[in-house]
Amino acid sequence: MATVVTVTSGKGGVGKTTSSAAIAAGLAQAGHRTVVIDFDVGLRNLDLIMGVERRVVFDFVNVISGEATLNQALIQDKRLENLSILAASQTKDKDALTEEGVGQVLEQLAEMGFEYIVCDSPAGIERGATMALHFADHAVIVTNPEVSSVRDSDRILGILQSKSKRAKEGGKVHEHLLITRYDPARVDNGEMLSKEDVCDILAVKLIGVIPESKAVLKASNTGVPVILDDDADAGLAYGDAVARFLGEDRPMRFVTPKKQGLFSRILGGGD
Amino acid sequence: MMAPRIRANRYSVMTLEWPKDSEPLEQWLKEQCDKAPALMQEIAIVLKPSLEHESEEIQAAIDSLDQLGIGLIGLTGDSSHRALADEMGLAWLSPNNVTVEPQSEKERDVNQPRETALVVEGPIRSGVQVYAKDRDLIVIGQVSEGAEIMADGHVHVYGRCRGRVAAGVSGQTNAEIFCLTFEPELVSLAGTYCGSDQIPENLWSARVRVGLDENSQKLTFGLMG
Repeated sequence: MATVVTVTSGKGGVGKTTSSAAIAAGLAQAGHRTVVIDFDVGLRNLDLIMGVERRVVFDFVNVISGEATLNQALIQDKRLENLSILAASQTKDKDALTEEGVGQVLEQLAEMGFEYIVCDSPAGIERGATMALHFADHAVIVTNPEVSSVRDSDRILGILQSKSKRAKEGGKVHEHLLITRYDPARVDNGEMLSKEDVCDILAVKLIGVIPESKAVLKASNTGVPVILDDDADAGLAYGDAVARFLGEDRPMRFVTPKKQGLFSRILGGGD
Repeated sequence: MMAPRIRANRYSVMTLEWPKDSEPLEQWLKEQCDKAPALMQEIAIVLKPSLEHESEEIQAAIDSLDQLGIGLIGLTGDSSHRALADEMGLAWLSPNNVTVEPQSEKERDVNQPRETALVVEGPIRSGVQVYAKDRDLIVIGQVSEGAEIMADGHVHVYGRCRGRVAAGVSGQTNAEIFCLTFEPELVSLAGTYCGSDQIPENLWSARVRVGLDENSQKLTFGLMG
């Protein structure tokens, strides 16, 4: 039985695709057969972040409409043997996603032996996002520490617990909160919501705080999930988050401001 | 000269329910007469024997009622006793026409429970609406900003209340709002509303009760213990 993990946020630009790539890679690293699906039909990005954009021949919509088989469309990651990618179509729009079609693809993936199916939800609360949410067993809510992002996350949580398949069948989708682009120094100055504030508003279990980091942009541009970068604090933080998702208890890191040394202050260093 | 006429009048008539396996009726009646002689002399009684009682038993019961001076006016119960009532010159009262008067307020509550409050487990998320029609609403947990909770009756929030809250939405001016942590976007009682910027600052995040002053049509805020 495969577990469907939907990465969602409501608001755009908060780091859903980066987080989907990192979580999928982290689950694969932990030894679980994992597939990550881009639900952002029409604005596909996941293939870029995963560094497979040149290998996309068939996509998710092709499979739903029967123009290609799942085996043809799945792209095997070259770094992690447990990881596969199902890209979104750039030419179609989100109406191509039907509940029946998406359900069949997820079922087939489960039959193929995938343990985790990570769904990268598009922004908004329209069709693409609701389709990504519909089949979720777990939802990772990605939030930036600012009020509009938090508000939108709250809205998505409401939709999740009313419109998802599990909710309609009387169950509950497991919720996990992931705070990204966290800058402890700005939190200390009162310019940014603290992780406690965010948790207080959303009342969801926190599985990770990802610090604002240049490594994330670099990882996106080079097509390597940031979790594979062992030198970056963001990569390590994603590693912790995946471990917590899998039930491990780890202390939070990178949530207090870095102490700048005398030399870095004089020379204008830091990150 | 007035013409005779028939009017529907209601008299208080007691039914004497007599199950087959009860203690001997004569004995029991004597005890009742000793306890409240005046009452037993004045009341009009309809006897309701059980289906299993033989005609002779019923006849004996009627005789003992007569001896004790209790005014028996008829029989009721199973329709098989109807012939017996005719034979004895008693009235037959159909059991289908009976309205049973509730004995007390307490008994009515038990027999006809009113609809209780709608209890919802939070968090109530942004964009979610909850409406308790014709009843109170109780939220266990928080109400997020952008959520709307409404009730025709009172609204209770056992948690942080950050959304829009409306009580008495069909015009019930006696409805109230109770919050453990009061941080709403908007409160409304029977159509009189108030935004968060008009809420007195000392009440923010406190345990607050909101009511409506009917004379001034203004919301009244009070702290709870």
